[in-house]
Amino acid sequence: MDYRDTPEEAAFRATLRGWLTENIPAGWDKVEDPEAAARLRRSWHRTLYQAGYVGMSWPVEYGGRGLSATYDAILNEEAGNLNAPPLPSVGYLGRAIFTYGSEEQKQQFLPSLLSGEVQWCQGFSEPEAGSDLASLRTTAKLDGDHYVVNGQKMWTSGGQYADWCMLLARTDPEVPKHKGISCFLVSMSEPGVTVRPIVIASGEAETCEVFWDEVRVPVAQRLGEPGEGWRIAMTTVAYERGPADIGFIATYRRTLAKVERMAAERGLLDRPETRKQLARAYVRGEVLRLNCVEQLAARVSGQQPGPEGSVAKLLWADAEQSLQHLAMDILGADELTGVESGWLSSYFTSRPVSVYGGSAQIQKNIIARMLGLPR
Amino acid sequence: MRALLSDEQRMLKEVAGQIAGTSGPVNPGDLATLDRSAAWRALAQAGLLALRARDEDGTPVGSGVEVAMVAEATGAGLVPVPYLGSAVMAMELLALAGAEEEAGELADGVARAGVLLDGNLEGLAHLPGDGPWYGWDIDGADHALALLDTVDGTRVVRVPLGTGFAGADGADLTRVLARRDAPIDPATLQTVGDPLTAEDLTRWEALALAAVCADTVGVMRSAVTKAVDYAKERVQYGVPIGSFQAVQHMCAEAYVSTEAAASATNYAAWAVDALDPEEALLAARTAKAHCAGVAREVTETVMQVFGGIGQTYEHIAHVHTRRALTNRQVLGDEGAQLLRIADVRLTGE
Ligand SMILES: Cc1cc2nc3c(=O)[nH]c(=O)nc-3n(C[C@H](O)[C@H](O)[C@H](O)COP(=O)(O)OP(=O)(O)OC[C@H]3O[C@@H](n4cnc5c(N)ncnc54)[C@H](O)[C@@H]3O)c2cc1C
Repeated sequence: MDYRDTPEEAAFRATLRGWLTENIPAGWDKVEDPEAAARLRRSWHRTLYQAGYVGMSWPVEYGGRGLSATYDAILNEEAGNLNAPPLPSVGYLGRAIFTYGSEEQKQQFLPSLLSGEVQWCQGFSEPEAGSDLASLRTTAKLDGDHYVVNGQKMWTSGGQYADWCMLLARTDPEVPKHKGISCFLVSMSEPGVTVRPIVIASGEAETCEVFWDEVRVPVAQRLGEPGEGWRIAMTTVAYERGPADIGFIATYRRTLAKVERMAAERGLLDRPETRKQLARAYVRGEVLRLNCVEQLAARVSGQQPGPEGSVAKLLWADAEQSLQHLAMDILGADELTGVESGWLSSYFTSRPVSVYGGSAQIQKNIIARMLGLPR
Repeated sequence: MRALLSDEQRMLKEVAGQIAGTSGPVNPGDLATLDRSAAWRALAQAGLLALRARDEDGTPVGSGVEVAMVAEATGAGLVPVPYLGSAVMAMELLALAGAEEEAGELADGVARAGVLLDGNLEGLAHLPGDGPWYGWDIDGADHALALLDTVDGTRVVRVPLGTGFAGADGADLTRVLARRDAPIDPATLQTVGDPLTAEDLTRWEALALAAVCADTVGVMRSAVTKAVDYAKERVQYGVPIGSFQAVQHMCAEAYVSTEAAASATNYAAWAVDALDPEEALLAARTAKAHCAGVAREVTETVMQVFGGIGQTYEHIAHVHTRRALTNRQVLGDEGAQLLRIADVRLTGE
C-alpha cells in the first residue's frame, strides 16, 4: 500500500496542473443562461478530450489511453483543486457499451462518446417504474429488422441536449419482469421521440420526460442479447454510483472552497462553531475521497463494481447535502432573499442526490442484502 | 393543568381550517392564479384579522392561542396572504401603541401593513441604523411598520414601501418581500400611537415568535400528511411504498419532530397573554429553537418520500420547504434562539 503517486503519476499530475491552469475557461462559473452553460460543458468536454484527459482508462482502440483508473482520480482531484468546470461523465454509459456492445457498436459509439461529439442520455426510469425499475412498461416489439418502441420515459436527464439515448424497453412480456427487458441505443432525432424538460425545485430544467411513439430502431442497435437489459442497467448504475466516475469529488472540493471563502468574507472564521462545521465538511469530503480511492484500487485490479458502490453513493449524498446545509447556515437570510439565489438553487440541486441513481433507501437495502441480513 | 382547547377555540380552529384549506395552492402553478383578496376577505369576515385588536378594557379579543390556531391553518394551507405580517405582527404593534384607529383598519382587512425586518430577517428593524432592510409579508401593503428611537422612547413608525424598495426574489413563494438599501431618513417617517415600553416589546416578540412557530407547524403538518397519503398510494414492487419500513420510519420521524414542535408552540402561544413577558418570551424562544431546528429536515424528508416527483418545481413539496426555510430564519433561527436561551438560563440575563 502506498497512497503517494508513483513517479509516472507525479509527472502526469504536474503536467496536468500546468495544462489546467492554462485551459480552464475564465469566468465559466459566472455563466447563467442554461443554453450557454450547456455549450460551455460541451466545449470543455472537447478541450479535455483533445488534450487526452477524457476516458484515460479506456482501451486505445476506442479512443482511450489504456491507463489505470488512478489517472481519472488524479484528474478529478486536480480539477477540483484548480476550480475547473465539472468533468464530463462519460464513464457509466460508456462502460455499458464497452462491456456489452458488439465490436461494430463499440467502434461506432465509443470514440464520439469520449470526445463529446455525441451527447448521451439514460432512458431507464418511467413514471411508474422508479425504484422498481424492472416494472418498466415501455415496449419494443420486433417488426422484421426493426424494433418498434412505444412508451413514456421520465427523468431522462440531459434529454433536451442529448443526441443519443441508452434506452430500456420490454421486449418479452411473457417472462418474469427482470428477464423481459432489452437495452437499445437510439438516436434522439428519430421521428416519434418527443422531449419535454422537467424543471426541478431549483428552477433548472435538469431532466426530461421523453415520449416514444412508434419509434423504429434497427435490430443492430440493440445492446447485448434480448432480455439482457436488466444486467446492463445494473452495470450502468453500479458505475454511476461511483463518485470518482462522475467527477463528484472535484465538484465537492470546489464548493467547499467557496463556502470557506464565504465564511471568511462574512467574518465568521473566529466562531468556533463555524470552524468546526467547515472542518467537518472537509472531513466528509476526505472520507468520501478515500473510500473512492479504495474502490478505484479494487477496480484497477480488475474487480467489477458491486454493492460497495452503494457505500460511496450514500457518503456522497450526505456530504453534498450537508455542505449545502452549511452554506445555507453561513449565508443566513441572503440565501432566502434572492441576494444569493444561486446558493438556494444549489441547495435544491443537492436534494435529488439521495433520489437519483437509486434512492438512499434503496442503497441501504442493497447494503443490508450484501450483509446477508435475513429478508 | 389542561393543555386542551375550549369548545369556542375548537370552533374557531374549524373556521380557520375551512378558509385556509380552500385558499392555498394545490400545485405551485396555482400561486399565479389564486384569488388572494378573496381569502383575505374571508379571514376578515370571520373576524380572524381582528384577534389582536383590544376591547374596552384593553385585553386582546383573541389570545395567543387563537392567533396560533389561525397561523397554523394558514401555514398548513400555504395560504399566500399576509396573516403573520399584517394581522399579527403589524396589528400587535399598533395595539400595543394604542393606535386604535389604525389597528381597526387592519382588523377590518380594509388596510394592510407589513413589518420591516433587519438585513438578516432576524428582528424588527430598529431605526435609525444601517440597512439593508426587508419589508416582509407585505402583500397588498403600502407601508411596513418599524421601530424608531426618539427622545420620547421607542415608537412605532410607518415606512412607506412605495419608493426606495425593490421587489426581492425570495425563497418563499407565498409571501411578498421587498428590499431597501438606501438609508431611511427618520425625519420623513410618520410615528403611530404612543411609545412602547420594554415590556411591550418583549410581549410583541413572544407573540410574533409564537405565530411564526404556529405557521411552521402548519407547513410541516400538512407536508407530512401529504407524504403519508402518498406513501399509501404510490406503488413500487407491487406494494404501496408505505409498507417499506424505511419509508415508515421517514414518515414517523417527521411526524415526531412536528408533533413536538406543536407541543412547544401551543405552550408558547398560551404563554403570550398568560405569563410574564420574560417567561412568555422564553417559551417562545424554546418553541422557535425546536421549530427552526426541525423545519428543514422535516420538509426535506417529505420531499424524499415523494421520490423524484417531490424534487420537481411543479410539485407542491418545495413550496412547503421554501416557506419552512424562510420561517426558520425570520426572527432568528435555532442558533440565534439557543444563544438567547443560554443567556437566560446560564447567565441570568
Ligand atoms: C433530478 C433527477 C435526475 C434523474 N436522472 C435520471 C436519468 O438520467 N435516467 C434515469 O433513468 N433516471 C433518472 N432519475 C430517476 C431516479 O433514478 C428515480 O427518481 C429514482 O430511482 C426513484 O424513483 P421514483 O422517483 O419513482 O421514486 P419511488 O421509487 O416512487 O420512491 C419513493 C420513495 O419510496 C422509497 N422506496 C421505494 N422503494 C423502496 C423500497 N423497496 N425500500 C425502501 N424505500 C423504498 C424511495 O426511497 C423514495 O423515498 C432521475 C431522478 C431525478 C430526481
